[in-house]
Amino acid sequence: MTAPMEIVLEPDTEDLTDLDKVWKVVVWNDPINLMSYVTFVFQSVFGYSKEKATKLMMDVHEKGRAIVSSGTRTEAERDVKKLHAHGLWATLEADE
Amino acid sequence: MNPFSRRRLIRSVADDRFRFELPEDVLGMVADFADQLATMLESDDPVLRRLFPSAYPADPDLDASYQILARSELTDERRAEIEVVRTTLSADDISRDELASWMRVTNDLRLVIGTRLDVSEDDEPGDEDSPAHEVYGLLGLLLDEIVDALSRDLG
Repeated sequence: MTAPMEIVLEPDTEDLTDLDKVWKVVVWNDPINLMSYVTFVFQSVFGYSKEKATKLMMDVHEKGRAIVSSGTRTEAERDVKKLHAHGLWATLEADE
Repeated sequence: MNPFSRRRLIRSVADDRFRFELPEDVLGMVADFADQLATMLESDDPVLRRLFPSAYPADPDLDASYQILARSELTDERRAEIEVVRTTLSADDISRDELASWMRVTNDLRLVIGTRLDVSEDDEPGDEDSPAHEVYGLLGLLLDEIVDALSRDLG
């Protein structure tokens, strides 16, 4: 008997400097997504209250972008992917 | 022409389930567009950039490694949700998760059609009256109703 071959799905691309950084998840304004939908996505993806989600949505709408979460690069990337699954325009950037 | 009136279009029924109360041809239209989206997901149509945006716009290398994994995962998720729309099209009522799939598919369709139409934030409903603008408007109303239904017992 033999153990199944281990498949490395995710190469470790985080270099050491990345480990010290906090990464911010940014959502950008876009002309298509509905305000009600964006608020709902912030509530359901992050578990934010209606008030907090609405405030973030209004920041995106009025200021053009808002930081909606932050964490390690892996955590921030996971959040970005969830937002992309919902069709939001999300990016991540290192907190310099 | 707007087949929607101000009444609720999605009713909550027992056991956290939901029932569409809107013309069947509207749901059928969504399902037809969802089929087209499923086909489009297999293509390299540039409008797909809107569904799979860049995560690291300032860093092409990091973005490439993100895209390799995320693109196929998100494509699989989208295929599965289109399948939910197909299989629940004629159901009497649907679960919360199924309604959430309808929500994301409806939003994806708005993104694709809105991108094609080059919609801007200053557009007012009724500015344009092409069939595509009409569909875009209907999808917006439907999406808003779905969000409203799913939000009723959220915090």
